[in-house]
Amino acid sequence: MTINFKQIEDKLKAEAKRLLDEGKVSIVLAYGKGYDEKHPMPYVARKTSDVENIIFNEFCTANMARYLVRYPRGTKIAIAVKPADSRAVVQLIQEDKVKRDDLVVLGIPVYGMKNFKTGKTIDSKTTCGLYNPVLYDILLGEEVHGQPVISPYGILADYERIGKDERWAFWKKELDKCIRCYACRKACPMCYCDPCFIDQNKPKWGEKSPESHGNLMYHLTRFHHLAGRCIDCGECSRACPVDIPLYLFHKKVAKECEEMFGQAAGMKIEDKPALVNFRVDDSDKILE
Amino acid sequence: MSFEPKILGIACNWCTYTGADLAGTTRLQYPQNLRVVRVMCSSRINPSFIFRAFQLGADGVLVGGCHPGDCHYNTGNLYARRRLAVTKKILEFAGIEPGRFRVEWISASEGNKFAEVVKEFTEQVKTLGPQTKFKIGHEPSLE
Repeated sequence: MTINFKQIEDKLKAEAKRLLDEGKVSIVLAYGKGYDEKHPMPYVARKTSDVENIIFNEFCTANMARYLVRYPRGTKIAIAVKPADSRAVVQLIQEDKVKRDDLVVLGIPVYGMKNFKTGKTIDSKTTCGLYNPVLYDILLGEEVHGQPVISPYGILADYERIGKDERWAFWKKELDKCIRCYACRKACPMCYCDPCFIDQNKPKWGEKSPESHGNLMYHLTRFHHLAGRCIDCGECSRACPVDIPLYLFHKKVAKECEEMFGQAAGMKIEDKPALVNFRVDDSDKILE
Repeated sequence: MSFEPKILGIACNWCTYTGADLAGTTRLQYPQNLRVVRVMCSSRINPSFIFRAFQLGADGVLVGGCHPGDCHYNTGNLYARRRLAVTKKILEFAGIEPGRFRVEWISASEGNKFAEVVKEFTEQVKTLGPQTKFKIGHEPSLE
């Protein structure tokens, strides 16, 4: 079974048109044409006539949940989500950034998306490995079944095995490449703090110029802020202009959180985010 | 000359800091490598404090809080426990020796335990040697 992107696009257009016509939503978050077919852009349809500009193809990797928090509370929004993006929506609902009642979630079961930078199919080991959205009101297309099951944390084994000195050398090399464009922050659906801790001057948490120690501070703290919240869409690493494998660290933190606290980010609306919650019987062993 | 580590201690006002006071008033000896910062609760500790301490040259960081269930603010240290557990995992995956960071629950009456923990932790950091990975070399912007 392969994904019929054209069919999904037609269904997406039809649903967007219907929802806008009926006045159920005032905004549809979907994908629009960029400067060519291979570079789709996030697109916001506000009128019925805008719907014609919506597209969906295998290069539509952006996580539209990023744009949910931009609109005032109470705005009725329809959003097109791929499997990982739906977890971001669930996580944002858990954090009370958006209300479930304000959303119409258009789920897209999909796999085999392509990276617009390289044109290659995205390795599913670098993302969460889901094929179907965990939350949707309307499913565009059929549920995907029978695809190979991929452990989201499988890719970590190589990095956990090597010694800490080699690991430090690896991260130092990678993080020193960072040019502090903050594309990772801009692409991330969970990074909505205003201002971000690194933009603050008092206290000044880290150097803002692309220096080694400032980069380390920015990235380590960002990994920490996303602990138990990262939904593993891999968008940060794809947005990165210097190709830092940020997803590796996020995966590692997500894995540890899942092992310690017994819940993965963005799977159930009823959960609370792991780090703003506690259990009295949490073991002290987690600190060892 | 033997290596004398710099250790940052972050102590909760109600338990560990009072425990440290008790260790002092009962004239218990413990190594002088520890520099204690008092915070109102262990959940006041922003993980960035710990990263920053390592960057500014700490060889080890010791965090002290009330025993779980004894927090002055009822639940503060229960949040801190989860948060600092994640901090520890992050430091470990980034390549810092896990022995350089320790969280210990020390109540106000445990002056002995405070001295013991500081002794033990200082020995441990001494065997690990100077922390050079996170430490910032000469950075004019910091002056």
